[in-house]
Amino acid sequence: MNAPPRYELFALADGEPKLTVDEDTKIPNAATITVNKEDHTLANMLRAQLLLLDYVTFAGYRIPHPLEPRVVIKIQTDGSCTPIQAVQAACDELIRALVVVKNQFSNEVNRATLMREADQGMDGVEGGGYNGF
Amino acid sequence: MPSTSEMEARKLVKLGREKVHDISATDFPGHHPGESHHWDLEQFKAKLQVHINSLSSSAIEFDLVGVDASVANALRRIVIAEVPTVAIETVYIWNNTSIVQDEVLAQRLGLVPLAVDPRKLHKKASNDEEPTDLNTIVFDLVVECEKNKEAKKGETDPSKLWNNTEVLSSMITFTPKGSQDQTFSSNPPRPAVGGILLAKMRGSQKIVAELHCNKGTGKEHAKWSPVATASYRLLPTIDLRGPIPLPLHSKFQSCFPPGVIDISTGHVVVADPRKDTVSREVLRHPEFEDLVSLGRVRDHFIFSVESAGQYFPEQLIVEAVGVLSSKLYALKLSLNDLVL
Repeated sequence: MNAPPRYELFALADGEPKLTVDEDTKIPNAATITVNKEDHTLANMLRAQLLLLDYVTFAGYRIPHPLEPRVVIKIQTDGSCTPIQAVQAACDELIRALVVVKNQFSNEVNRATLMREADQGMDGVEGGGYNGF
Repeated sequence: MPSTSEMEARKLVKLGREKVHDISATDFPGHHPGESHHWDLEQFKAKLQVHINSLSSSAIEFDLVGVDASVANALRRIVIAEVPTVAIETVYIWNNTSIVQDEVLAQRLGLVPLAVDPRKLHKKASNDEEPTDLNTIVFDLVVECEKNKEAKKGETDPSKLWNNTEVLSSMITFTPKGSQDQTFSSNPPRPAVGGILLAKMRGSQKIVAELHCNKGTGKEHAKWSPVATASYRLLPTIDLRGPIPLPLHSKFQSCFPPGVIDISTGHVVVADPRKDTVSREVLRHPEFEDLVSLGRVRDHFIFSVESAGQYFPEQLIVEAVGVLSSKLYALKLSLNDLVL
C-alpha cells in the first residue's frame, strides 16, 4: 500500500544529484561520496577496485537503509592523490577490465560457434522457436 | 615472493566441517608485506580466462577465471535485473467474456516473453509518455471459442467439441504501426515461446484485446528480466592429504557425486572436481576427516545463464557487460562534473 513506485530504484528524481561529495574536516585526505539510485552492483565493485590502489588507505561502502537506493562510499588516501582522483582511477580501471572481459568472451563465443558449425556441417543454429537478431 | 604453491593455496576458500575459512581475498596492497598487489591491466589480461563449456540457443555455461567476486556478482545482478527487454505493459481489453478476469489475463500476458530486439525500441521517459511507433509495439489478441460443426454426435472431449478452447501465446499477432514496417521487417515481433496457456474458454466466449509493449528492466518488474535464471558457483577443489585405505575406497567414492573420484586404478584419484556439489559428506566420517581438505577456488566462477527467449545467451552476457560499463561511465562523468 505504501510501496514507492519501482522506477524510483534507478530513475533520479527532479533536482536530485547523482553524487554528492563530503570532504572530511577532521581526517586528512578523506571523503564521503553519496551516490543516489545505486546499489551493491556498482558499489561493491568500486570498493574492491579502490582497495587495489596503492595509495588508498581506507575504502568502504554502506547502504544506510535497504529500502532507499542510496550508497555511501568512504575513502581515505595517503595524500599522493585526492579521494576523488582515487575513485576516478578505480572507475577507469574497472572500465578497462570490463572491456578485456567482453573481448575475451566474444572471442570465445566466436570460437565455440565456429566449432559447432563445423561439427554440424553449417546447419545453422539449433532449436529454439526464434532466430535471434 | 611466495612460491606458486603458496599463491595457489591463497586462492582457496577452505571448507571445514562446521565453518568456512578465508572467504575474502587477501591480495590487495598492504596485506602481504613486501609483495606488490596493485592492479595492473596487463597482468589482469594475462590471468583472465574465459572458457565456454556449453552453448545452446537457450542456455550458456561458461567459466570466468581471474575476476574478483564483486565483478562476477555485479555481472550476475545486471543479467538478472538491468538488461532491458520488451514486454507487454498495457492491455486494452475490448471484450472478455471468458472465465479469466481482465486483470488476471493482463497479468499473465505481461509475463509472456517476447522475441523483440530491445535495441530497436526506445525506452519511455516516463509512464505517462504518449505511445509512439518508436517506443511501443502493438499486438492483437482476438480469440473466439466457437462450436465445432464437424464434431461427432456424443463427443465428450471439449477440444473436439469446440474450436479455440485454449488461448495460447502463439495467438498473439503483431500489427506494425508507423515506421515499424521497415524497422522490424527482417524479424517480426512475436512471443518467444508459442505454447504458453493464457486462458481456457468454452461456449461462445471471446477475448478481444490490444496489447501495448514497452521496453523496461527487471528492476522495475520481473517480466522484463531476460533470464529464466542466472547463477554462478565457484570451482570446488578436493585435496587428498593422506592415503585412503583400500577397503574404504568405495565408501570414499560414494561420499562424492559419481564421476568425481576414480578408484579403478587401485589408487584414489580426483577425476573431476567440477562435478562435485560440495555436500561435505566426507567430513561427516571420522575416518576421512583428516585425509581430505575441501575448498573452492575464489576467483574461478562457473556461470550458468538460461535465457527466457528475448536474447541469445551469448549476446545477453555481452549486453550485460555493456550495461555495467555504461553505469561506471555515467558515474565517472558525474564525478568529472563535480570536480570541474
